[in-house]
Amino acid sequence: MAEHPSDLRTPLGRVRFLGAARAGTTDAWFVHVTSIALIPLTIGFVWLILDLLRKDYNGVRAELARPIPAILLLAFVLAGIVHMELGMRSIIVDYINGQSRAWALAANTLFAALLALACVYATLRIAFT
Amino acid sequence: MASSDALPGPRRPRPLSPHLSVYRLTMTMAMSIVHRITGAALYVGVLLLAWFLIAASADAATFAVFSGFIQSFIGRLVLFGFTWALFHHLIGGIRHIAWDSGYGLDAPLRDQMAWATFIGGFALTIVVWGVGYAVR
Repeated sequence: MAEHPSDLRTPLGRVRFLGAARAGTTDAWFVHVTSIALIPLTIGFVWLILDLLRKDYNGVRAELARPIPAILLLAFVLAGIVHMELGMRSIIVDYINGQSRAWALAANTLFAALLALACVYATLRIAFT
Repeated sequence: MASSDALPGPRRPRPLSPHLSVYRLTMTMAMSIVHRITGAALYVGVLLLAWFLIAASADAATFAVFSGFIQSFIGRLVLFGFTWALFHHLIGGIRHIAWDSGYGLDAPLRDQMAWATFIGGFALTIVVWGVGYAVR
């Protein structure tokens, strides 16, 4: 927005009643969608881990290679990592300003993407080898 | 995703979120803060899950390194903290879904829900660890 030295209205006054920005709720929406998915997925994940506690390396491999544990794990990891990326994004936007915000947002996305790829790769490798 | 206003305007810094010292502490506020802290802790904690999966996808010797860590005192402490953060954040998330849908915002109930998050997080952690030690 251009500076208007002769305009006595505040920046807020200039934009009021121009309507919504039509954007900005996408992140909040996906935080909610993933959070709803994560309620049953977290319960299933904890159940799975409790089951794995009794098992050694071969037992863990065999259990995680079965379809339902593998799909549960993939869903938990993907929903969880999308959720945490969006959550960390809102923390960054709340507390970091300026150029460092851009770096923090980029680092957050790249970290989440790398983590998701690593978890999905490992889960599929267990399932298919 | 549109929430990333990366570059500030030339005129003045962007406003910051109100900081913790501004308000008198209430239970709902405390649980809001703990929700954010547990969320951030789980962000780091997912590295533990990634380590577990990568170790399990590799050979038995690699898995033994993870297994040795998680069974050590430090490992158990980290896993206990992870469990608590997970359950606290889970119950807090359900509370936030209720509030965002317009339920439970009235005076006695909102505090009861905040207390339920606080107590429920510890209770579920202890129950699950009890089950964990019983089954292994």
